[in-house]
Order: sequence, then structure tokens, then C-alpha cells
Amino acid sequence: MDQMKILLVDDEHEFVTTLAERLELRGMNVSIATEGEEALGFLDTNRPQVVVLDVMMPGLGGLEVLERIKAIDPKIQVILLTGHGATKDGIRGMQLGAFDYLIKPIDIDELIKKLNEAVKNII
Amino acid sequence: MNKIERKEVVFFGKITAGITHEIKNVLAIIQESSGLMEDILAVTEDDTFSNKDKFKKSLNRILGQIQRGIDITTRLNRFSHSPDQGLVSVDLNEISGQMILLASRFARLKNVVLEFSPSDPPLIIRTDPVALEMALFESIEIILVLITSGGKIMLSPRKIQNKYVLGVGYENTIPLDRDIFEDISSSERWKSLQETMTYLGGTAKTFDSSPEIFLHLPEFIDV
Repeated sequence: MDQMKILLVDDEHEFVTTLAERLELRGMNVSIATEGEEALGFLDTNRPQVVVLDVMMPGLGGLEVLERIKAIDPKIQVILLTGHGATKDGIRGMQLGAFDYLIKPIDIDELIKKLNEAVKNII
Repeated sequence: MNKIERKEVVFFGKITAGITHEIKNVLAIIQESSGLMEDILAVTEDDTFSNKDKFKKSLNRILGQIQRGIDITTRLNRFSHSPDQGLVSVDLNEISGQMILLASRFARLKNVVLEFSPSDPPLIIRTDPVALEMALFESIEIILVLITSGGKIMLSPRKIQNKYVLGVGYENTIPLDRDIFEDISSSERWKSLQETMTYLGGTAKTFDSSPEIFLHLPEFIDV
């Protein structure tokens, strides 16, 4: 079975690196970015199947990054990470083409379930 | 509430919401780090790690406390968003559940357990959530000041003869001295609660028959 290719985008460096290690332990190919611009730059030369994207980031916000990702390649599935009290962002994100959203702090099993569903959703 | 008071409350809420967001980020990092340790532990052979069980037990304790932290910050975050929109539709079950968590520390200092008995179906009213939370907290505080120690404070939203009522009752195996509860109405805290209830367009009452404060609330208020 091919390795699932994921890009994690969150401005909390410690969070994103630790989560990447956990997903790698489960056999996934994980890249990280801590800014929206960095994530978009990554897409110049790479095509992850799923981008896990924090909504609240300094600089380019998650929803704007989502729109740009979808403009670059609509096949890339995006799972948003929102905080409590920011469910509206998650719903707005789904209207903009996100596959789904999860509320932080996330449960690893739930994330893996969503990742698998997202990959199956790729046409 | 006058304009400056309203602005103060909104400001306080905004700062608190920002800080709870930051605390959640800290919890998320601790959660992932301990999760990673758990993952590594799962693939470590038993005979190469003599204290594996102790380590696992300690990790579970950390995970339990993270969950506790997440629950508290989630409630605090919701609470901090209360002043955002002024008058809103409020589910009395939701607000009661929120308050038992936010006030649990104050209850614990008197060995009191806070619980709530949800109404079915949920009761929704249009009100000022900050003032309602304040009225609930004031009611809990009145009881906590009166009692010595132990027992349970039960929040129970209900509809009595088409009126919306939030009951804040006290239960203990040792019955409460009636005289103590009758003193409520002369306390400063009771006056303060009445002020809050007047603002909410309702009233606070007690009856001799039960150690309970009844917050009578209108279905709509127009402040």
C-alpha cells in the first residue's frame, strides 16, 4: 500500500513536529509548515494528498490558504483545525471546499479516521 | 448595564478567550508529546524497559489531567464568549452544565459536589447570558456561605406552569437547619442576586418547604 502523503500546517512548531512524528510512526509520509506562505511554497514542488491546516495562524489565515490550495489543485483534500468557539470557521471552510474540520486539541484516532476518509474522497 | 460596563465585560471576555486559546495550544502540545511517548512505549519490548508499567501509569495520569484541562478551558472559552452578542438564545441545560464546571473549585473548598439535572426537552430563553451566569453563580455562592461542609448543590432547569425556572437546591444526608436557610433573604448576597434578577426581568425566591433558590426567568427580555 502507498504511503499516505500529508502536509501539516500550524504555527505551533512543537505541536506540528510532534504530531508529524506520531503520524510517521503509523507509516505516513508527513511534511510540515508553520506558515501559510510556507505551505503554499511547498505545493510548488510537492503534491500531498491531504493538508491538515490550522485556521488561526498569524499572517496568511487558514481559510485564505485553503482557498489558494483549492485553486492550485482541487484534488488536494484539506482538513481544518479550529479552536472551540470557532466552529463557524470550520463550517465556512467546508463551504470553501475543505473536506472536514476538527476541534483542537485533536484526538489522534479521530484524525487518522478523517485522513483515511479524505484520501478515499480523492477522485 | 451602561455602555462603559458593557465595554469592560466585552474586553474582559475577549482577553480571556485569547488566553484560553493559548492554554489550549499548550495542552495540545503536551497531549501530542505524551501521545508520542505512548506510541514509542507501545513498540518497546517489555524486557528492555523494566519500569514500563510505572511509566505507562504515569502517562495515563498525564493524559487524564490534559483532558481535565481541555474540559476546563473549553468551558472557560465558552464563558468568555458570553458577552459577545448581548442578548442571545440560551439553553438552560447548557448554561447549567457550564456553571457546574466553572464553579466547581468554589464548591470543592467546602467539599460540596455540583451537579445538574437537565430538563427534557431543553428550555431555551432569550436573555443576557453574562447576567444569567452571574445569577447562577450568586445562588451557588449564597448556599456555599450558609452551609458548613459537604453535600450536593443541584441545578435543575424546569418549566413550572409555563414559567421558566432554574432551581439551585442543596441536598445533604444531614438535613440543613431551616433557620439557616431562612436567613438568606437578609443577606447582602441575596440583595445582589435580586438586583441581577431584576435586570434579567425575573425574580429569586425561596420557600420554607425546601432548601432551594428558585430563579424565575422570563422567556424574553428586552434590556
